[in-house]
Amino acid sequence: MSSRARVRREHPLEHILETRSLTKTYHRGTTEIRVLDGVDIAVAPGEFVSIVGRSGSGKSTLLNLIGGLDTPDGGSITVDGHEVASAHPKALALHRRRTVGMVFQSFNLITTRTALENVTLALAFGEFPRAKRRERATSLLTSVGLAERVDHRPGELSGGEAQRVAVARALANDPAILLADEPTGNLDSATSAEIIALLRELNRDHGLTVLMVTHDHEGAREVSNRVLTLLDGRVVDEEVVRS
Amino acid sequence: MRFGDVGRLALENLWRTRLRTVLTTLGVIIGIGALVSMVSFGSGIQHNVASEFRQLELFTLIQVLPGDIDMSDPVASGMQAMEEGVVTLDDETIRALEAIPGVKLVYPEVTFPARLALDDGASQTTVRALPAAISEFKPFSELPYGRFFESDDELSIVVSQRLLEDLGIRLTDVPEPAGRAREDTTVIYRMLHSDEVLGRKLTLSTSVVDAAALMQSVARFEIPSGDLPVREEVTELTIVGILERSGGFTSLGLGGRAIVPPETAERIPRLAISSVWDLIGGGGEDSGYTSVSVRVGSMQDLDAAQEEIEALGLSTVTIADHLEDVRNAFVVMDALLGAVGTIALLVAGLGIANTMVTSILERTREIGVMKAIGGGEWDIRRIFFVEAAAIGLMGGILGLVLGWLVTRLANVIANAYIRPYGVEPTDLFHMPLWLILGAVAFAVVVSLLAGIYPAARAARVDPVTALRHD
Repeated sequence: MSSRARVRREHPLEHILETRSLTKTYHRGTTEIRVLDGVDIAVAPGEFVSIVGRSGSGKSTLLNLIGGLDTPDGGSITVDGHEVASAHPKALALHRRRTVGMVFQSFNLITTRTALENVTLALAFGEFPRAKRRERATSLLTSVGLAERVDHRPGELSGGEAQRVAVARALANDPAILLADEPTGNLDSATSAEIIALLRELNRDHGLTVLMVTHDHEGAREVSNRVLTLLDGRVVDEEVVRS
Repeated sequence: MRFGDVGRLALENLWRTRLRTVLTTLGVIIGIGALVSMVSFGSGIQHNVASEFRQLELFTLIQVLPGDIDMSDPVASGMQAMEEGVVTLDDETIRALEAIPGVKLVYPEVTFPARLALDDGASQTTVRALPAAISEFKPFSELPYGRFFESDDELSIVVSQRLLEDLGIRLTDVPEPAGRAREDTTVIYRMLHSDEVLGRKLTLSTSVVDAAALMQSVARFEIPSGDLPVREEVTELTIVGILERSGGFTSLGLGGRAIVPPETAERIPRLAISSVWDLIGGGGEDSGYTSVSVRVGSMQDLDAAQEEIEALGLSTVTIADHLEDVRNAFVVMDALLGAVGTIALLVAGLGIANTMVTSILERTREIGVMKAIGGGEWDIRRIFFVEAAAIGLMGGILGLVLGWLVTRLANVIANAYIRPYGVEPTDLFHMPLWLILGAVAFAVVVSLLAGIYPAARAARVDPVTALRHD
């Protein structure tokens, strides 16, 4: 799908993502909440892995740690051969920019910018050549089915369209892994199915590694290679759907 | 992120909140406008004084006084100097002064009271002797009418327009300052063209003690009753030149009202006293001249020549010395004027900080998004810094324009007020390059300082919290 051919590395890693004994504790006043309590997960290149669990099971926190938005209290995270858990803020910014792409439940588009500008902003942070940004952003938006909507602002787009823009933006800098945090949580069932189908297509046809957090256990089983269940900050179940 | 992208984002953000940007920038504009107009007023006065001095070539003038005279108490130290027999200003000293390198002209201070009369008009005034050689220097090199002396012994006189007025004459070919005509309607002047004045013979009368009459009365043991036996001596002099009407600050008694050549002055019989100084010193030739003026070729020669003169044991005074005092006074005034503008600008800086903090609160989520898609703290900080700097730069440049407009307006108004008093229209304000560049730079620096806290705060926004933010 990308204009740049996805050439991973000459010696493919066994795991593109690996976490070991990952812990994270939040402090709310005097109470301590252990959100993650020793999480070990591993994702192979080209895999589609879903994480399910109840609210407060630590799914989103896990994704934020892998995405470099937050730092763990203990344990390690390796993404595409780089250690993330103890990385310097500068290295962490680079990680968010180059190695991962994130999609959120609430889209998190910049409302004052058009679909195209939301994508080109990510390219600007990635120091993509200015002259080619528009072309690349248009091609990304076309590939998620939004060729006609590039100049619309998020307020003029439907939820499904907005989430497609977010997907296009997440792919802008050619990430090693796409992290999707409840991408369908704000969408009706028909639109949800479309977005899941889009992620599936990116995974299957373009070899994109996807790690998705979702409420929808059944939906996850339909598209994923594996489904991990998180409970009270631990992985309590791993179901291999297809290998 | 490249700097071009940072700049573009920052400007887009400013444009998005246009009204707030305009209001914030207005604060800077007013601050810089106040600063610029205040400082350019101080600078203008200084500039006018200095350029007037320069125009008269007074920077090449050294006033030489006898001995080590303490200028704070010249009479006492002068008396002391005479008792101790310090260097006096006699013809020998003048020759020594002339030998100093860089010195172009040396002439003693010679003035004497006289009565000048032309036709029906007469005036008691002080006549000054200046050598023909001074015609190389301003203002004598540029007499508006006629010429300066060609020799030191011609029977000529150069008069000021002020003196002509005292004699009841006004020149018809002088450009009349507007609004001046109504000032003195009680005096009726004869209106003459300068050509009708030049070449006329003027009578100069001096009083001398009639030595013969005095001796007679002394011989007869008579106490002279009433007045001293004083006799009037009359000399006829041709008017060869007319001086410019002196205006502005620095007439400084440069020309006096009437000037005659030195050897002619010598020949005019007169009382040997020309000043109080002569009375104290007992008068006469042996105590020397009260002061001698030395002209050097250029300002560069001034310091060296002044040192050499002082090495001879003489005291010197230059305009530069005076200017130093004047400059020190201006430093204080400039500081006060600048302080007013600076306060205004600091208030504007607080406005910038306030605007940007508000803007961060509104844009928290956006900052979180930018971080999530790869924006580093450095990128975010730069975006806010550029926003602050852009406000400062725009405010600085427009403030400069505002300041300039204010000074132009103030200048027109001020000149309209002073014109009726016969003062030549002058530019009261001066905007040197350092002020222009300095003001803009100052605006940018203050804005950047105001942006430090908001930028740091924006950079520290926690993306996880920001993205939960609704």
